[in-house]
Amino acid sequence: MAESALQQTGTLPHGGMYVIDPDTTVASAAIALWFRAPGAGYDDSTPGIAELAATAAAVAPLASGKSLFKLVHSVGGELNVEVYPDIVGIATVVPASSSRRVVAAITAAYYAPAVDDVAVKTARANAAVLGVQQRYEADATLHDLLFKQIFANGPAHYPPLPVSVAEITSISTAQIGAFAKRAFRSENSILALSGNVDASSLTAVTDGGGPGRMDPPYDSTLAASPTSATASGLIGGIGLAWIGPPITDEKASTALDFIADYLFRDETGVVTKGLDQSASDALVIGQFITLHDPGVMVVTIGGDHADQVRDRVLGALSAMRTPMDARTFNAAREAFLYHVASDTQTPQERADNLGWYGVEGDLGYAPGIVDGTYGRSVRSLDPAYVADIVKHYLGTPVVVNLQAKESSQ
Amino acid sequence: MSLARRAAAVLTAVLLPVTVLGAAPATSPPSTDTVAGTTVLQQVDSAASLTGVTLVVRAGLDRQTMKQNGLAALVAETIIKTPVGTPAMPLDDAVAARGGSVRFTVDPGDVRFYVEALAADAPAVLDLLRAAIAAPDFSPATVRAARVALTQEIAASQQVALQVGLDMLNAASSAQANAGLPELGTPASLADLFPADAAAFYRAYYRRGGVLVSAAGQLGALSTATLSDLAGALPLGTTLPVTVHEAALRGTTREIVAHRDISSPWLIAQYPAPRVDNRDFGPMLVLAAFLRRTISDIAQVPGVVSPTFASRSVGAVYVYDRVPSSLVIYVNGGLIGNPSRTFATALSVVNVLAATTLQGSIEEFKAEAAGDFADSATTLETRTWLAAVFSRESTSPDFINHALAAISATTPADVQRAARTYLGNPTIALVLPRGTNLQD
Repeated sequence: MAESALQQTGTLPHGGMYVIDPDTTVASAAIALWFRAPGAGYDDSTPGIAELAATAAAVAPLASGKSLFKLVHSVGGELNVEVYPDIVGIATVVPASSSRRVVAAITAAYYAPAVDDVAVKTARANAAVLGVQQRYEADATLHDLLFKQIFANGPAHYPPLPVSVAEITSISTAQIGAFAKRAFRSENSILALSGNVDASSLTAVTDGGGPGRMDPPYDSTLAASPTSATASGLIGGIGLAWIGPPITDEKASTALDFIADYLFRDETGVVTKGLDQSASDALVIGQFITLHDPGVMVVTIGGDHADQVRDRVLGALSAMRTPMDARTFNAAREAFLYHVASDTQTPQERADNLGWYGVEGDLGYAPGIVDGTYGRSVRSLDPAYVADIVKHYLGTPVVVNLQAKESSQ
Repeated sequence: MSLARRAAAVLTAVLLPVTVLGAAPATSPPSTDTVAGTTVLQQVDSAASLTGVTLVVRAGLDRQTMKQNGLAALVAETIIKTPVGTPAMPLDDAVAARGGSVRFTVDPGDVRFYVEALAADAPAVLDLLRAAIAAPDFSPATVRAARVALTQEIAASQQVALQVGLDMLNAASSAQANAGLPELGTPASLADLFPADAAAFYRAYYRRGGVLVSAAGQLGALSTATLSDLAGALPLGTTLPVTVHEAALRGTTREIVAHRDISSPWLIAQYPAPRVDNRDFGPMLVLAAFLRRTISDIAQVPGVVSPTFASRSVGAVYVYDRVPSSLVIYVNGGLIGNPSRTFATALSVVNVLAATTLQGSIEEFKAEAAGDFADSATTLETRTWLAAVFSRESTSPDFINHALAAISATTPADVQRAARTYLGNPTIALVLPRGTNLQD
């Protein structure tokens, strides 16, 4: 049976959209709420405010006296707050028996946020710890630096996580509360349910602002001539980025996903396998990030001999300007179809995908729907088209060199 | 405050009375068929786009002699590298080219192959696996390629301190010395194994007796007969483990120390634990959830809600899918301030659990155990494997409903009984960076 036949979409009782992707053969349910929201605030003056607001709403007490965060943990589940420059996701996975309670709680926590000083204090502490951690993660650090170079203005120019304690504490409870009320409206959301859950859970939603429209996408302005940069950090590395197509160009976006999979997927990617065979300790992570407009191809390189690995990456991309032979291409495309299905087999992965693609503006394009447009886009690729996409989008990259500074620890 | 008193304080603080376990929606149990002596388990998931199949053969570590360390893995890897299809290419490449993946795991008593593919490709991919298993290529070139692949994998695993520690602890806790050998062997032992050794092992132990096929996902393109045909690739017959008598080491310490090229020390404790058919299975799942929460709380930055390096650097795992079962507690010393204190506190918590009557409700830990189990059983690979484990070791392959029912029925008295029965005297592994010692 095709998965698309099982999916249900519709409008929540008090505004907002839902998508349900049921699978009654597993014992858990993923319940996720996604919003369009600018990470740096509505005037780009408060980087990190979306992170603080999303966390504060999760830890603020609900009418029951227990926060969403505590409720999810008390039923044996997990909750993650996922903040990106233009969107916010609240992802939970819980035992199926608790799905109705969690649907009620997550919509109450966000559709009617009651952010107070205590919740903001927890959110600040959380952001401070995550900020320190990120300094030890070259991939995330490079990602933010590359976006800063590529985008001159707009939320993507700023890191989703505040970079300093001063930035964190400078945002007041009132500002965070106001942001939460504006961003976390039911009509600005998609509730994604996956796993052992059905439409009856939706009757648990009692909050919401009524009919309305989702905010327009929070796109950012591209730099006229993006330049490369050098930065210092606790961990060294090299980041490469290329500006890609908008999500509406499904075929081009899919081709860039295919290229990232073919070259950089863990264990099977051409570049990755080459590094493994040479016993290199370098770590290369490459992905096309599908955004509303435009998407971005990002490759980050960590470990020893990063310069040599960068050359290897650029060499592999250069080779793809020539169409692949039919046999190699067909095998790589079939493998890609499998990788997509493999990466979207758990309830959490599916809910994440549905939420992300929904708020980025193209729910039907979410990978993992076998007869959806994503699968059709993959099957429509051919060697000549992929080579053209490489030539069109993957020319000279924006480069960030992250130099490790000496640390006393 | 002493560590023991601190542990008692932690115990009191976290055992708050809550009632959270609702009735879980029942999931359909796997179906069981026996075809020509082969057990075939199937979990149909019409929402899946993939098909996953685990093939379990009685050709694991306990079929090796002590001198054959690594031979079970070498034979399995040779099957993975066997040229199949047209044009002929190694099985793993051929499966990947058809849109799928194949890998193997060596267990104490079994070797298991897991193959996964898009549903439409599954019949062809299973044909490839069947061809390789029916007639592995034991030519010097293929066996050499298998040895190289294993040696690379061993080198990588030696950088994973937790794996190094678990290998040592498994060796110490195995009833049969050969069943506790490293799963992939060692580079030195592999260097002494040749194509004739691999071919002889295959002829002796790749038999149909005891073979189990477990499938999950989109199974419309596969019949029960197609699945059982995987076993049909092997000749009839049953095999027995190799009996190895090794005198037990006599010593006063239960600590094992190893040095590796790692950046930080790891501290790992292993306790014996019940099998899945034991009445203490549910209580041990709850105990593991309690310990996981407690040591994570000890390590976590206070007041922070997102998982951090610190909270992820500690853990408690109930390994019920391996024989003998065990409970493992670990601390990664590189990511938290005082790993020795965290580890000692965790061990003290265990001692307190075994000695003190539990006060308060355990419902929150039952919920956590149920949530952990449910969430860990969502990939097709896990689902096929757990069905196989429960089919072998209990009366039913219905792992989800069995585990959730066992957790739901657990009482505080059960938890304490399990703690007293199993959590007495751990074996401890310390994996240290080279150039450091216990006193550092």
